[in-house]
Amino acid sequence: MFPAHIEEYVRPTSVADALAANARYEDGEAMFIAGGQSLMQAIKSRMARPRCLIDLQAIEALKGIGFEQGLRIGAMTRYVEIAGDERLRGAYAALRDAAAHVGDRQVRNRGTIGGSCCWNYVASCTPAVVLGLGGTFNLVAASGARRAVPASEFLIGPLETARRPDEMLESVAFAPVAGRAGSAYRKWGLLKDALPVVGVCVQVTLDAAGVCTAARVSLSGLSAGAQMATAGDAALVGSKGEPAALERAFAAIADSADVQADKWASEAYRQQLIRTLGADVAATAFARAVV
Amino acid sequence: MQTVKITVNGALYEETIPARMLLVDFLRDRLALTGTHVGCTHEGVCGACTIHLDGEAVKSCMMLAVQADGHAVTTVEGLARNQELSVLQKSFREHHGLQCGFCTPGILMNMTDFLARHPNPSDEEIRQGLIGNLCRCTGYVHIVKAVREASKTLASTAG
Ligand SMILES: Cc1cc2nc3c(=O)[nH]c(=O)nc-3n(C[C@H](O)[C@H](O)[C@H](O)COP(=O)(O)OP(=O)(O)OC[C@H]3O[C@@H](n4cnc5c(N)ncnc54)[C@H](O)[C@@H]3O)c2cc1C
Ligand code: FES
Ligand code: FES
Repeated sequence: MFPAHIEEYVRPTSVADALAANARYEDGEAMFIAGGQSLMQAIKSRMARPRCLIDLQAIEALKGIGFEQGLRIGAMTRYVEIAGDERLRGAYAALRDAAAHVGDRQVRNRGTIGGSCCWNYVASCTPAVVLGLGGTFNLVAASGARRAVPASEFLIGPLETARRPDEMLESVAFAPVAGRAGSAYRKWGLLKDALPVVGVCVQVTLDAAGVCTAARVSLSGLSAGAQMATAGDAALVGSKGEPAALERAFAAIADSADVQADKWASEAYRQQLIRTLGADVAATAFARAVV
Repeated sequence: MQTVKITVNGALYEETIPARMLLVDFLRDRLALTGTHVGCTHEGVCGACTIHLDGEAVKSCMMLAVQADGHAVTTVEGLARNQELSVLQKSFREHHGLQCGFCTPGILMNMTDFLARHPNPSDEEIRQGLIGNLCRCTGYVHIVKAVREASKTLASTAG
């Protein structure tokens, strides 16, 4: 069999029970399994050898999308549900862009926003989008202690997050956005909807006259993992999204980003992708900024 | 070892299995339902093992069988009714939607779910829907045609 021996499989129905099961094992010996679309690869290749798997599928409190204070997405909410939720417009539209093009429809039927961010694969879409939209990760520990960690602190680097071994991710939250805001995400991969060689997420806030008052740009696909790119802010803020301003912004980002060549793409090719995708994504974000 | 109850193609199976058994191995080795294929090793990219879990297309090599405990699974063996092939299966035969046939069970399962949710798809939508299924033989042209023609047949017989 591909996977190594797994001693125990449990399917708790509450967060507290899941954390209690996790606490029965030494750090890292028990693992949560969400959609399994990353973890099963690791388990089959024996890169991960959990003694216990804690399946989160039956914990209803971890599922769903709510708009009570800004936006809150349960960790076990699947790509298919995010991609299909028409309420994710304007400031949050980039989440749908990303979810709709992760892998393929079979992967989207299983994979979750929580699993993707807790795995934080070097070339992945959701972590960069949550970072770009200024999201916060809500964690809960076996003791019941809760903490909210900003994406910029949670996403440490490829396959590394600030989650402690005794913690579970409950939800990803986004503060309410005042005024007109729009966002978008697009990636380029070697195959349609494959992992990003480069992906760009843009969120802009506009004033009543349509002038940009704040911009957030993040990148996926680079060797350091999901990262913010601020070099274009000066060109974006104060503009109305004119093509010349967008070009200037993403030329600055392409020049300053820490871009490395690998077997998929040269440095120059990645920089060109940042320029081309970036201007296009930013234009979409401006167009989506709704009242 | 753990005892699971999984409904497969309408029949309830109660089996005692190790937690590490993949769902695809449960179907093939335990239940001898070998229509579900294994095309890749651990990446989960080929789609040959696609089945329905509670009516949704998923890759059965990317799940453990214990995760399907209490759920309903449909495999390619469950598509025909009373010895009669489904509209999509007939369309694949008629429009040469397969050559070696290795990818076909997974494609049929994915596209059966796809057509239930997208009754009138464009060719572009069909191609998007097929991203998770690799076919090394056909070049996809006849697969797309078979799906498109099946959607028309389903529409004309629906009302
Ligand atoms: C064919 C294929 C194509 C793909 N294409 C893309 C793509 O284009 N873009 C992209 O971004 N990704 C892609 N992926 C990866 C996919 O996004 C995964 O679904 C995702 O990375 C993991 O989410 P999951 O729910 O499946 O988590 P799992 O695989 O179940 O878990 C991943 C990790 O997170 C931990 N975990 C899960 N939930 C929690 C929680 N609530 N609290 C604490 N820890 C938790 C698990 O213990 C595990 O370590 C692809 C995968 C496949 C198989
Ligand atoms: S065997 Fe290839 S995706 Fe499952
Ligand atoms: S028909 Fe041979 S792989 Fe598709």
